[in-house]
Amino acid sequence: MSPDPGGAQTAAIADALPTPLPGRDTAVQYGMALLTVILVAAPLIPVLYQSLLDRALYDAGQQFTLGNFGRLFQTNGFGLVVWNTVVFATLTTVISQTLGTLAAVLFGRTDMPAARLFGELFLWPIYLSALVLSFGWYTIYGPAGYLTLLTQDIFGDAPWNLYTLPGMAMIAGVSQAPVAYIYCMSSATITDPSLEEAARVAGAGTLRTLWRITLPLLLPAITYSAVLNFTVGLELLAIPLVFGDPAGITVLTTFLYNNGVASARPDHGLVATAAVLMLIVVCVLVWLQGRLLGNTRRFVTLGGKATRPRPFRLNRLRWPLCLVSAIYILATVVAPIGVLVLRSFTSLLSPMAPLAEVLTLGNFTSMLEYPVYLRSIWNSFLVSAVGGVLATAMIALIAIIVLRSDFRWRGPLHYVALFPRAVPGVVAGIGFFYAFALVPGLGSLRNTIWILIIAFTMHYIPVGLGAVAPMLMQMSPDLDRAARVQGSDWWTASRRIVLPLMRPALVACFIILFITFFKEYTTAIFLFAPGSEVIGTTLLQAWTQGEVGLVSALATVQVLVIGICVTAARAIFGVKLYG
Amino acid sequence: MAELLIENLHKQFGPVRAVDDVNIRVADGEFVTLLGPSGCGKSTTLGAIAGLDQPTSGRIRVGSKTYFDGDKGIFLPPEARNCGLVFQSYALWPHMTVYDNVVFPLTLRKVSSADRKRRVAECLALVEMERFQNRYPHELSGGQQQRVALARTLVYQPEILLLDEPLSNLDAKLRDRARTWLAELRTRLGLTTIYVTHDQVEALALSDRIVVMNGGRISQIGTPQDIYERPADSFVADFIGTTNFLAGNVVEAPRANGQTLVSLADGQRVTIQSARRPALGDKVTFAYRPEQMRIATDNETATDGTIVNAAVMSHSYVGGRWQIGLDVGGNQIRIETQAATTDRRLRLWLPLTGGILFTEQAHAQSH
Repeated sequence: MSPDPGGAQTAAIADALPTPLPGRDTAVQYGMALLTVILVAAPLIPVLYQSLLDRALYDAGQQFTLGNFGRLFQTNGFGLVVWNTVVFATLTTVISQTLGTLAAVLFGRTDMPAARLFGELFLWPIYLSALVLSFGWYTIYGPAGYLTLLTQDIFGDAPWNLYTLPGMAMIAGVSQAPVAYIYCMSSATITDPSLEEAARVAGAGTLRTLWRITLPLLLPAITYSAVLNFTVGLELLAIPLVFGDPAGITVLTTFLYNNGVASARPDHGLVATAAVLMLIVVCVLVWLQGRLLGNTRRFVTLGGKATRPRPFRLNRLRWPLCLVSAIYILATVVAPIGVLVLRSFTSLLSPMAPLAEVLTLGNFTSMLEYPVYLRSIWNSFLVSAVGGVLATAMIALIAIIVLRSDFRWRGPLHYVALFPRAVPGVVAGIGFFYAFALVPGLGSLRNTIWILIIAFTMHYIPVGLGAVAPMLMQMSPDLDRAARVQGSDWWTASRRIVLPLMRPALVACFIILFITFFKEYTTAIFLFAPGSEVIGTTLLQAWTQGEVGLVSALATVQVLVIGICVTAARAIFGVKLYG
Repeated sequence: MAELLIENLHKQFGPVRAVDDVNIRVADGEFVTLLGPSGCGKSTTLGAIAGLDQPTSGRIRVGSKTYFDGDKGIFLPPEARNCGLVFQSYALWPHMTVYDNVVFPLTLRKVSSADRKRRVAECLALVEMERFQNRYPHELSGGQQQRVALARTLVYQPEILLLDEPLSNLDAKLRDRARTWLAELRTRLGLTTIYVTHDQVEALALSDRIVVMNGGRISQIGTPQDIYERPADSFVADFIGTTNFLAGNVVEAPRANGQTLVSLADGQRVTIQSARRPALGDKVTFAYRPEQMRIATDNETATDGTIVNAAVMSHSYVGGRWQIGLDVGGNQIRIETQAATTDRRLRLWLPLTGGILFTEQAHAQSH
């Protein structure tokens, strides 16, 4: 063929510029922004509104008042609730930061045997819900737990009690330690190894280098994750509910649960006011996180190259430390989950009863017999799959509007989309509960899983954005600009170029949301109704009814599904499932 | 194809004037290069033409279509402009084959499927890439990617073609070949083209006219020969080619024939003939290309020029030639010679004409 462009030139005269639908870009952008604002505001406005009313927000004749705040602080025992909450969150933070930092240094930076394996196992509590972990700990360290009984048998008394603030904080600390670990690890892997090598060359020994160089460089990661874990400690419902309530230890979340859901005649003014209080505290903490993250430049650890720093040599301590780590992982992660799974296959688990005699599939058969259990498993799958797809779609659109458009309000939209970080799960639950009670016409959704999908989506927009945004920011803006210059409007460029290129990030986002939705219970506990139970809510209900066998069977199902998802996601897609 | 008109274009980034009162008129079919160091405003100007950056004020018109008018509040989005832009990064879509990349703009324009096939084939043939249409971008070399990017831009016959440093990602050898190929292509197509580069060799070789930019402003517009031989100020002289500057004071007002006597810092006197006429006492700078100067022989007396004494500061072998660093009255200059020199001092011949004289003011402004 002759390379003469003449043919193309004459044919080109007929070419008109494509005529995109006028205002389509604007419609998509404003529509999505509006939807996001409504979704995020939906639980917040009713809670704020209710906290200022003298009676329930669906009753007639309400009057605005500030009396609820006064009433809350005069409520008997509320001071103790606040005190318990602060102590619990503080202890949790101290434990998780200590464990996480130690693990990061030991598993990430030394030549200890099996360090990688321990690192993987150390992360497991973050994949499972704190609820399941609590049950695991109960089965082994609870008053009738396997190890408790064994210890009592031998020594006459077990030196631990989970039904105390330190006991609860221990479980919470173990379940939150992976957060500190992950932040320290990602900080350690981007640290310029020459900083440590310089200290070595200057004559510093292993310990001195660790103490004077490595740990100070980890300080921003430790501080930031400490604030994060303190926030989680304030918001945590499962552990205080399982261990605190029976012992009469109330924290803010269980206060909200007991007065809002479990109570026969809930005092909505009081509940909403306590929720607002919690919202304010968490907002301040999230703001603090932002400040801390903004200041990390001071600790410049970005050497750029992804070289792995040379591990510290432990020498004689290699095997002793390996043993200690093995015992820790076994005691806090493997044994609780393992024994919980084992419990589901037995009628009763005790050192006194020989295992062969108590083995049974009865828990699973009775789980299949009660429709509520099957329904909650099925609902969990539905919520996670359908909700995960919808939420991923919404998050993808928010991300491209915020990061890849000239939408006028993209800055505020970004802010709004990230705001749910500052909304505790219990507050979101109460808020959506009010919202659906308040807005006429939404009543039909109330007893369906849609209310859960909507609430979960709102609560986890920031998590999804966190999974999607980094890839979008790495993608060269020239790619969509090229499409724009060639005549496609923003929406076409997004659909044909940006979104297809984002596919790996969207898959990761979906998997993360699937797992998160699958184990979620905090928000759901305020919103579910007969027919829309999910695993988390049924677990709690069965627990309060004392059905330990059924609880372990259901928890085993959850562990199994999450285990398969996590393993598959990491093996097939190489998805990073946290951060 | 159309004429491009840029009038009083400004672009402000906070306190920085990235583009400062730029006026360019590009005739139909003309090839104009925006040349300058990084940060001179050339890419911002290109982005403003393509619609990727919104200027602060001014006007941009192509043919009868107004792209941008700050006063009337007109700003066409990029998709409404029908410009062709080849990005420095090529911006080929990695999830599409070469064919899919090139056919994309035709699909947008609802071209019939038979025409689409034919035109993509023609365009790929034009850039000699027809054998690669089923490959993915990552399976192509840099030079091949660049050709596909060009084909993707030419296939929809844009009104004007914008090229943003298209050769800068190629290695030196490939860049030479691509430049020759681009020069052939431009004569064949005759498209109105704006070419952005910081490489003076590309600019001189390809352009009908060159716009030299510095600090957001236009320093000079002219043909390659104009720019090289008659630079408007010492910045242009310095940026295009290697230039040696000598600074001095006018000690004798220009005579009728344009000859001026200038005294260097060490008192040596140089006669220079220039179209520009400085006044007595002015501080001036005059510029010579290395090829305009030579080492004078021992007994040579100055004809058609001046012989000055120079101290040899350095000499280095650069392959076939020697580069000699000299100090002439406090000015550092460089010349090239065929033979090495062992002398610590030598005599340098400067031509009477051909040097370019700038008054000190113009020199200071551009630095």
